[in-house]
Amino acid sequence: MSDIINANPTILNPSDLPTRHSESRKKQSSSAHIADKISRLPNSKSLLYDPFLPSPGEDSAYSSGSGSDQDDYEDETAAEDIDEQEIYDLISTISDPEHPLSLGELAVINLPHIYVTHAPATPQNPHPMSHVLVEITPTINHCSLATVIGLGVRVRLEQALPPRFRIDVRIREGTHQSTDQVNKQLNDKERVAAACENETLMGVLSNMLATCK
Amino acid sequence: MALKLVGNFPVQPDRVWCAAPHPHLPLVATASTDRAVRIYSLRDFSLVSTIEGGHKRSVRSISWKPNAKGESVLATGSFDSSTGIWHREERGTHGDGEQSLELNSEEREEDEEWRFAVVLDGHDSEVKSVAWSAGGSFLATCSRDKTVWIWEDMGNENYETIAVLQDHSQDVKMVAWHPEEELLASSSYDDTIRLYKEDTDDWVCCAVLTGHTSTVWSISFENNGHQSRLVSASDDQTARVWHRKPKPEKKEEEEEEEEEPSMQPPSIIKGTADETENWEEQACLPKVHTRTIYSVDWSKKTGLIATAGGDGRIVLYKEVGTENGLPDADSGASKEWKVIAQVPAAHGVYEINSVTWCPKWDKLGTTIDGELLLSTGDDGIVNIFEFSL
Repeated sequence: MSDIINANPTILNPSDLPTRHSESRKKQSSSAHIADKISRLPNSKSLLYDPFLPSPGEDSAYSSGSGSDQDDYEDETAAEDIDEQEIYDLISTISDPEHPLSLGELAVINLPHIYVTHAPATPQNPHPMSHVLVEITPTINHCSLATVIGLGVRVRLEQALPPRFRIDVRIREGTHQSTDQVNKQLNDKERVAAACENETLMGVLSNMLATCK
Repeated sequence: MALKLVGNFPVQPDRVWCAAPHPHLPLVATASTDRAVRIYSLRDFSLVSTIEGGHKRSVRSISWKPNAKGESVLATGSFDSSTGIWHREERGTHGDGEQSLELNSEEREEDEEWRFAVVLDGHDSEVKSVAWSAGGSFLATCSRDKTVWIWEDMGNENYETIAVLQDHSQDVKMVAWHPEEELLASSSYDDTIRLYKEDTDDWVCCAVLTGHTSTVWSISFENNGHQSRLVSASDDQTARVWHRKPKPEKKEEEEEEEEEPSMQPPSIIKGTADETENWEEQACLPKVHTRTIYSVDWSKKTGLIATAGGDGRIVLYKEVGTENGLPDADSGASKEWKVIAQVPAAHGVYEINSVTWCPKWDKLGTTIDGELLLSTGDDGIVNIFEFSL
């Protein structure tokens, strides 16, 4: 990574980025709610700092809930729907792997390119799923780090969002020369799972994610 | 008709990738992200052993060796690029009496009995799937390194690589053997399925099945003698049935040597006609899934097909006669596939990684009528379903 791939990217002024932190206070409780949720997700922490650190005890607290635990969890998260701005807040603060700038500042992540949908809970479907699609815009159309950036976004969302979310991360159409290839990799569950066990890659990712609030 | 949840195994701490029933004992092994293999009893759904310490990364796939004499042999494929072979002695023979003896509660702590006997190295990256051939003499493995390897069991814990098949252009997701013939199938990230056979001394790719428009995650053969069929499940959210075309219409497929149309002398070089596999798509199962289908299993007992995937849904399909009893105008098929049962949110909000049919046992360890369907999820749970009319 000694050669900088895009030495001169366009940079947005942080104060121009869409945010809920300063503009409005009304949703602060929900940000706090998310932060709280993130801190309660044992996977995220162990993954972030040491993907090889086994934490079976913690994990079981998280996933043991086939029964009542899980239902409580669902009720809690269903109370306040996560919207595009919250997704933006979660991922725009990820650092670019080669610039000391955030993906929001580099306009790699843009609020209008985040799409969230929630299925309603019905008697037939007591476990409705939510879906988030994030389209990322690489700074240049042959950026070889697009996969790493996409993986960073996916890992961040997998760690931060409740399990009912299905996450799709794609390169925005027309912004990269090998869009299909990168998209297929980013959305292959097995490849993502294997990448998360790759120490070197996780080292890069944890640096990128270290700036997340 | 319904698929009813009848139980589940004790929860695991992490994602369960797949489950495999023992060839003749009331046991099921599961492969998990936490690098452990767990063995459960099908008599009371309890945990029998946890096998750890063999792999450095996720155990992605497992397969029991059929016809292992006096012992149970398990192959495990891991993201650490290796394949492990595990042995455990079976006391006595396969009689029911010995089985109940073997699983006595005071003996359940004896996990150490599982011996990590052999490590098969060779793949350059994650091993995605492992499968023993029906007779137990061959083990197939596949990997993200785009290759399929065939290992022959030479006895005394010796394994020899007899083929490295490099026909796929991408990640190979799964390998599966025909239930009777020595015919191997593999499915891939390159959207194709390939079939392999031994031709004289070499294993060769003898058919390519194209039609899926994205990664083919899973494949499963039907058990119906020579009239062979295969079902596949894909990221394109479809499951398709493929069949071997009857012999008379043989080949126009696969390059190989240009065959003279008339009177070729009987070839002593190759048993050409007999070695050629001619497969085509027969049917696309009714579309129900709304996310990637990760797994498909064709019941060797009832002929039902089960699928499951990222949408958390389990779907059962049955082949029935067409409504008017007449062959379909387009395909000429006189049968069609119908959805006969489905379970939405079979693992709550979590994705399902596999579905596997397995025999049903009573508490004493005797097989009984009926069949169970096991599903494994990202929630660390293995659910046990039973289909009833």
